[in-house]
Amino acid sequence: MTLPTFIIKNALRNKRRALLSVSSVAVSLFLLVTLQVALRELTLPVESPGAELRVCARNKVSLTNPLPARQRPIIERIPGVEGVTPFTWFGGQYQNEGAMTFAQFAMDPKETRRVFTDFKLSDAELARFQTGKTAAIIGKITADKYHFKAGDHITLNSTVYPGALEFTIAGIFSGTADDRMMLFHQDYLDDSIGTPGLVGMWWLKVKTADDMPRVIAAINQAFANTAAEVRAESERAFQLGFISMLGNIKTLIASISTVVVFTLVLVTASTMSMAVRERFRELAILKALGFRRRELFVFILAESFGLAAAGALLGIGTAYVAYTFGNISKMTHGIFVSFEVTPRIMGLAALVAAVLGVISAVAPALAVARTSVVDGLKTLD
Amino acid sequence: MVAETIVKIRELTKIYAQGEIQVTALDHITLDIAAGEFLALMGPSGSGKSTLLHIIAGVDRPTSGECLVQGVDVTKLNETQLADWRNQNVGFIFQTFNLIPVLTAAENVELPLLLTQLDRRQRRQQVEMALEVVGLGDRAKHLPRQLSGGQEQRVAIARALVTDPKLIVADEPTGNLDSHSAQEVLTALQSLRRDAGKTIIMVTHDPKAAAFGTRQIHLEKGELSA
Ligand SMILES: Nc1ncnc2c1ncn2[C@@H]1O[C@H](COP(=O)(O)OP(=O)(O)OP(=O)(O)O)[C@@H](O)[C@H]1O
Ligand SMILES: [Mg+2]
Repeated sequence: MTLPTFIIKNALRNKRRALLSVSSVAVSLFLLVTLQVALRELTLPVESPGAELRVCARNKVSLTNPLPARQRPIIERIPGVEGVTPFTWFGGQYQNEGAMTFAQFAMDPKETRRVFTDFKLSDAELARFQTGKTAAIIGKITADKYHFKAGDHITLNSTVYPGALEFTIAGIFSGTADDRMMLFHQDYLDDSIGTPGLVGMWWLKVKTADDMPRVIAAINQAFANTAAEVRAESERAFQLGFISMLGNIKTLIASISTVVVFTLVLVTASTMSMAVRERFRELAILKALGFRRRELFVFILAESFGLAAAGALLGIGTAYVAYTFGNISKMTHGIFVSFEVTPRIMGLAALVAAVLGVISAVAPALAVARTSVVDGLKTLD
Repeated sequence: MVAETIVKIRELTKIYAQGEIQVTALDHITLDIAAGEFLALMGPSGSGKSTLLHIIAGVDRPTSGECLVQGVDVTKLNETQLADWRNQNVGFIFQTFNLIPVLTAAENVELPLLLTQLDRRQRRQQVEMALEVVGLGDRAKHLPRQLSGGQEQRVAIARALVTDPKLIVADEPTGNLDSHSAQEVLTALQSLRRDAGKTIIMVTHDPKAAAFGTRQIHLEKGELSA
């Protein structure tokens, strides 16, 4: 027998308890990893290629207030502007889903390449999109989800405009930060159920990064003191505005995580206390045989650490495998796409486990150190 | 030949103070124990037998007085020194639950050797020998619950002698045993003294057990009586 075998035999003496405490650590860490991964994905700034050159202009009052279409030529004339397209929220629901599962925007297809440089779309698809009045292009994630393919006709019920519109899928794009949305003709919307003369927002592209601040200032100035004042900002700033709306969710997730960790500490600490308390007498005998406090502390620490490590391996490992090889996008209906278990998150969970292992060992080890051989022997006598 | 004195106790006093009440467990005890003695320490419950034994074995400290074991004043050692000293110089046998339940007889006997420099093979040899001495060579792989009470105590004796200490202390080692098992344990202790020259201090209530010793002393309210 060696000291490690002695420690392992001790840790496994009550197999059911060992199993339960390893499982509770595993489940909690799995949950912690899940929460952290979700938090990361929710707060991840959408970094689409080309974003540094794009500007979003919306009604200064709020995002839901429209802008007059006649603003477009004024924006186009601002030096440094390369392309401008309306970007109007349609809020359509597919079939009887009862909820919006992907976003649709009405825009000017002629500007597709000029404004959205990151779109991966064949020239043939783009040509179809630009020519067909009811044509729409749709992101790959949504297309895969509903098995849409070019040539399909789909009908969406608008929650903004009265009625439904039928679209013909002209192509499927990918390569953007969010391959879920659908784009279609602003003209089609205006000529059917839309409000001609009004658009949702303007999205534009500037020629160089240096043009950005000047263009933004120029747009804001151009419509100051008009009926529809405009607030222009970089796409990145616009996205960050959305993220800050997620602030509450962030706080919520952070506090759930804290509760999970705290509960975990309580559970493991009490498990270790129990495990040690019931062999106080044995530990006193070991002391009598010449084992020092330091060695007994190592026994307890190793056991506690071992339990936490086993739980961590199981919990973090399961999360990693599940989220790396499982189809999260499908399981969450596209709410989460990458759900990446990053090394940083795994490191954080492992750190929690390690700290847990140490904290749980402290109280029992102190109790053992404080108890003399004679007092220890009296327990259970 | 005059046997050397292995334990030399002078004016040893132990007072437990609990708030207002003071309990004098040992009251100025002076006692010499010669090497090779099998001393039976008797006395009524609460007379201080265990307290005395614990101080001699270096697991408790006196309030005052000296306790020299093989010339070392154990009352002056610090915790760590005392732990090492116990490992090298004393073998312990307690009344009950001596053994770690998840370890086999051999592993239990091996425990004190884990603190020594011996390698695995040397440890195994020592363990086998110790188990042979107490007549349990064939029970090495048994867990404590697979052994009788008497056999458990003999495993404890094997563990006490495996580091080859001069001094073995036993606190009522037969207190929980039937007379047959007690006989086995006492015979084993007796042969340790006779064949291996160990000094044994045994606390007991039982005059029949005490008769196995070479000398009997009595404690009465913390004082020695003839
Ligand atoms: N931790 C303690 N605190 C206070 N008093 C104690 C403590 N330990 C022992 N005593 C007291 O010291 C006296 C001697 O106790 P000790 O255990 O040495 O007796 P004993 O002779 O071994 O008795 P027994 O035969 O019942 O085991 C008793 O009166 C006991 O109550
Ligand atoms: Mg006693």
